[in-house]
Amino acid sequence: MRMITPLIALVIASALGLGWLSPAPVAGASEPPANGNYDPLEGFNRKIFWFNDQVDTYMLVPVAKGWNTIAPTRVKTCLSNFFQNLRFPIVAGNNLLQAKPVATLSDIGRFLVNTTVGLAGFFDPATGMGLEQHNEDLGQTLGYWGMPPGPYLVLPFFGPSNPRDTVGLAGDSFSWVYPYFIDWIYTFSATGTDVVNARALALRDVERIKEASVDYYAAVRNGYQQRRDNLVHDRKGMSEEEQQDLYNVESNGGE
Amino acid sequence: MARTRWFVTSPLRLGAMLLLLCSAAPGAARAAESPPKVVQELADAVVAVLAEKGPTADQKREKVQTIVYAHFDFTTLSRLVLARNWKQLSPEQRQAFVEEFKRHLSMTYGKNVETYNNERAEVTGDRTEPGGDWTVKTKIVRPGAQDILVDYRLRQEEGGWKVIDVIIEGVSLVANFRSQFQEIMTGQGPQKLIDILHEKNERGEPLKTS
Repeated sequence: MRMITPLIALVIASALGLGWLSPAPVAGASEPPANGNYDPLEGFNRKIFWFNDQVDTYMLVPVAKGWNTIAPTRVKTCLSNFFQNLRFPIVAGNNLLQAKPVATLSDIGRFLVNTTVGLAGFFDPATGMGLEQHNEDLGQTLGYWGMPPGPYLVLPFFGPSNPRDTVGLAGDSFSWVYPYFIDWIYTFSATGTDVVNARALALRDVERIKEASVDYYAAVRNGYQQRRDNLVHDRKGMSEEEQQDLYNVESNGGE
Repeated sequence: MARTRWFVTSPLRLGAMLLLLCSAAPGAARAAESPPKVVQELADAVVAVLAEKGPTADQKREKVQTIVYAHFDFTTLSRLVLARNWKQLSPEQRQAFVEEFKRHLSMTYGKNVETYNNERAEVTGDRTEPGGDWTVKTKIVRPGAQDILVDYRLRQEEGGWKVIDVIIEGVSLVANFRSQFQEIMTGQGPQKLIDILHEKNERGEPLKTS
């Protein structure tokens, strides 16, 4: 854990420097577009993106493929449940920070059920009881209270992000449960297992996105921004302006 | 002029729809099928093909393609994806683009044929949108994994309600392709975009762009 801290600090520093501390953009010049492809650092981002893709393709994917071959789906799902359950402080904490008491209580109930009846979190009986898995983190909390995401940012190893979500990632890292209870070597192995297992479960999806896109970088960038926006607003859908921009043939396609 | 038409037609469309609904005698019901029904039929038809044991992957892919072609409006979809850039295309280029984009999408869709694993789709809700479109919300239920939320946006055309966008977990396909094509259009122009799509379709596999 301690080894990662300087890296996170560096990332925050650069994110802060690049995002918030820079002067407000001149109106009209590089205003973030409504549908979010705001990427003034594209040259830099593409390089990091390429680097991440190399790491993924030549280091992570081979291991994930191996794991995918030897581990039955049930084992992978159980592991995924287990690590998801450990994210409980992040999910519940951020629901609390977003002043959502019902969701927070549901998260606590879910954690209690899955940790006991679900055998340390390897199984997920809670979902069947109506205590659904929520997707929350500090980046969403900041967005929920009105902080703009800032420019698109690709982080080394961590992938697509923005200054807001980078700060969120760093903040959330304080509530990862392992560092407080166990040695860093176990934390390290656990995180490795989590990453490999998660990657194994996503092998097909990532391949599909690569195939389906004409510009993989742009596809991921746009997908990340749309998805985060959707999560921040808890799936309320698009605003009327966004719909107008996206779906009105007459106003944007014109004969 | 063009802008006003958009607002004028929607009450008309609504009126026509109401008329159809009111006059829907049992026999005439098919002509005025509601968007949720259209989407459920589309999903059921695709799942039925995927679950079939007999046919080869290629035969299945062809069947899926036929179903998708019948329910999607690829011309509108293409125009929305290209947005302001649509004007830069000559009539021939427009036709070529729609054709290549259609092929590209149905090929991607067709990949599901090999990886089908007992997923099924359920309509979970629907709503009308400003302007007269209709959004139908569905979820893909997967054994042993989290559901995937998929919204379909439909527009009424002459042949009934057609899908003009698919929104997967909040990610709109139209918006996503628009951002991909935007850079190619501004950097290299419409012909290059059509060529890239064509090349990708011919290979039937991912194309590396730097």
